[in-house]
Amino acid sequence: MKLRIAGGRVYDPANGVAGEVRDVCLDDGKVVPDLPADAMRIDARGMVVMPGGVDIHAHIAGPKVNAARRLLPEEHRADVHDRSALMRSGTGGTVPSTFVTGYRYALLGYTTVVEAAAPPLAARHVLSELRDTPMIDALFLVLLGNNVALFDLIRRDPARVRDAIAWWLEATGGYGVKLVNPGGVERWKRGIGKVTSLDDEVAGLTPRRVVETIASAVHELGLPHPVHVHCNNLGVAGNWRTTMDTLATIEGRRAHLAHLQFHAYGGRPGGRMRSRAPDIAEYLGAHPEFSADVGQVMFGDATTMTADAPVSERLRDITGGKWVNADTEVETGCGIVPFTYREKNYVHALQWGIGLELFLLSRDPWRLVLSTDHPNGGSFLSYPRLIRLLMDRDFRNEQLRLANRRAIERTVLFDDLDREYTLEEIAIVTRAGPARLLGLRDKGHLGAGADADVTVYDERADREEMFATPRFVIKGGRVVVRDGDLVEALAGDLLRVAAPYDPAVEDVLRDRFEERYTVQFENYPVREPWLLEPARRVPAGRPA
Amino acid sequence: MRSHDAADASRHRAATCGGCGLVCDDITAVLDEHGGLERLDRTCPLGHAWFAERLAPAPPVARIDGREAELDAAVDEAAAILATARAPLVYGLGRTTCEAQRAAVALAEAIGATIDPAGPLLDGASGLAYQARGASTATLGEVRDRAEIVVVWRADPVVTHPRLLERLRLPHPTRTLVVVDGRRTATAERADAFLEIPAERDVETLWTLRALVREAPPAPSGASQQPLDDLAARLRACRNVAILHHVRGHVEALGLHALVRDLCSVTHAVTVTLRHEANAAGAEDVLAWQTGYPAAVSFAGGHPRSSPGELSAPAVLDRGEADAALVVASDPLEHLPAVAAERLRAIPVVSIDAGDTATARAARIAFTTGAPGVHRPGVVHRLDGVPIGLRAVLESDRPGDEEVLAAIAGRIARRGGDAA
Repeated sequence: MKLRIAGGRVYDPANGVAGEVRDVCLDDGKVVPDLPADAMRIDARGMVVMPGGVDIHAHIAGPKVNAARRLLPEEHRADVHDRSALMRSGTGGTVPSTFVTGYRYALLGYTTVVEAAAPPLAARHVLSELRDTPMIDALFLVLLGNNVALFDLIRRDPARVRDAIAWWLEATGGYGVKLVNPGGVERWKRGIGKVTSLDDEVAGLTPRRVVETIASAVHELGLPHPVHVHCNNLGVAGNWRTTMDTLATIEGRRAHLAHLQFHAYGGRPGGRMRSRAPDIAEYLGAHPEFSADVGQVMFGDATTMTADAPVSERLRDITGGKWVNADTEVETGCGIVPFTYREKNYVHALQWGIGLELFLLSRDPWRLVLSTDHPNGGSFLSYPRLIRLLMDRDFRNEQLRLANRRAIERTVLFDDLDREYTLEEIAIVTRAGPARLLGLRDKGHLGAGADADVTVYDERADREEMFATPRFVIKGGRVVVRDGDLVEALAGDLLRVAAPYDPAVEDVLRDRFEERYTVQFENYPVREPWLLEPARRVPAGRPA
Repeated sequence: MRSHDAADASRHRAATCGGCGLVCDDITAVLDEHGGLERLDRTCPLGHAWFAERLAPAPPVARIDGREAELDAAVDEAAAILATARAPLVYGLGRTTCEAQRAAVALAEAIGATIDPAGPLLDGASGLAYQARGASTATLGEVRDRAEIVVVWRADPVVTHPRLLERLRLPHPTRTLVVVDGRRTATAERADAFLEIPAERDVETLWTLRALVREAPPAPSGASQQPLDDLAARLRACRNVAILHHVRGHVEALGLHALVRDLCSVTHAVTVTLRHEANAAGAEDVLAWQTGYPAAVSFAGGHPRSSPGELSAPAVLDRGEADAALVVASDPLEHLPAVAAERLRAIPVVSIDAGDTATARAARIAFTTGAPGVHRPGVVHRLDGVPIGLRAVLESDRPGDEEVLAAIAGRIARRGGDAA
């Protein structure tokens, strides 16, 4: 299908285009330099044209997400989605059903989403849900930071770690490597307490050694996305030191830090939380090998869900409400606690403020990108409001005045942060930046050869309204949203990495499997073609 | 397999067993020269029977009123029944694959049906307790490698899940197996301790235990409390507890989850439901990811609405609301309460099953499909939620459950198109 998006103001930061009026031409699922004059066209005059949104860190599929769905019937009753000629029915809330997740991302102008924490043992479950999540291209990161079989290898045969990681990615259909509270979940599962420093002992290793070894291995494999780290001590006052220590440990290799806001706290453990966002932002700015997503919290309902089960245990004790814990053998934990962020609450307001500080102090939008850690800090549906907070100083200051005063006074938000994000910067933090950090060369830009994923917004002064209801969304060259309505439902692709490994590693792993897992080694890798195909492979290999 | 010569090895097939919720995946099927099954290694009696049932001469692929029919004609007829029903019911799902379950939910939605997996009826109402409070759970490997005390609560896995104790390496010299039940079961015979407590005392017992593990003075109860004192003291003293259960009532399930939550403030504690059907967990998972609810979902209003109790299959049948039923991989005439079973006999039933069940024999339309785990691959979620890829060890030209479901759905969509 040929399509010309004509006369819009185009924001394509990866190609240096910042609001120029020009045409974007699409043919056969790709962006092309030009099209015959008689090609179908969308009149985009007065509109803003950007690449489709790319969510670098969300929780949308797999056993953890589904355990949360099952926990929230009251949210689902309040937010139903009817079946139509195009769409399957479903339910919404902070953790929507799979179909609704896909539709709502598309209606928001997002076309690529990362499921950020998949237990490799559950890969078939993750893939099954992704096959039922329409509209978006999806990829997932596999949890390897508390895998005791891999820990064995790190201790006894570290030279094999690289091959083992590539094997795990191939076995699951995964895209990249995620570490969650490295070593800390295993330590907690052993009942010997929580990790508080990178030098605590667990299974004959330390978090530092785990982070260092796996970050190096991922770096050497040349995976398109570097190791994606949820640091130790999430949510704990004073944890900024752990975050800095983690970065210092990885220095010289690449890494992406997940939901940085939750790791930027000063104060003493157990004491009153403070902001250390300025220090973290400063450090990040000075280290081009590192990137992060913010993990902004938004006031209102959220559902916390994490492989960091010890964190959920603490949240359970705060809310006293519903709580799910699920331990996965060898690999990980999982905790779920429904949570409401309240603007008058000191801690919640401070978390909100720290997220905004990180955004507003960021020197390089390419390396500090937008997320709410959906649905941990808030639903992806709150991105438009977050964008307005970044783009509209008056609105932000109004909201600041509503939040807990003592908390906001602990931030620098009222001092001199009158920065307003430009549309170009928004295009960077919501699509161009995440795509580049993920190593997705065909995503996040509108140069010739890019995937024909495009979002067209009406230019509106109210940025929240503007970004909440794109006028057109084009996925793979097909118009899927027109005038704010979904007009075509289609399946997205699975994006997976291709990272070669020495098959000899299988013999090494087989022995560890028989001892540790309750699933046979031969049955562990996903082999069902309907789960793995169709997929697009992104090759590993060091950038030239 | 490396010890066999090549010709011999070529007859050995890695196999998986769908005989119970454990889904053992270390089975070897040895084939004879004609590609038939000669022998199975490592199956338990239950698994052996499961394979045997699926290898027995099967009825025709399609039957209408008990008589062999063309597959196409039966699909047409099934589509006509389901498309014209005012309030169809879709039931079962626990013994088929997630792929077929996905197709079944899609079909249920398309015809505005109520869909309810058999699991809640067979394996208890812990779904409601979960929705109310949440749960702490774990995969089998966690239980095997960490639980210092394993409590089997009102379940007899030696009979229902014959390889469970072996797979959990129980009994064990340094770990304790405790059984709580109303009589001395086969599992109790192998336990380190057995507490004989009648089922009707479950709620009281669980609340007493809750008080004891919290070291609060328990409400006085008629029963001798010494065994519970001892159990509570043991639970408090160890580092990791797993409670494997098959409680049937909502209040009992709530009590169990509450006990585990209390235990979690002094130790690490988990529960695992010993589901009977190989993919009961998957049925609830698939329904939850497609609709937001794990059971008792009605699509009558054009979107999912769930109301366990009101919309559970026995209730819908009892009230005489269902006017047609699609039964997938389940034998409700064998396990529904009597009134509901009678109601089911009175309405047109479409059965899709790899086995020859009483329900299939009584059905208006019956499809006998290729069996998942014998003739067909597919994913099931083990009782602890771990997805296992079933292997097909034998050839069959019968369609699978999901293909029949998709064919019916396709036919219904075309009918809708014609009508429009």
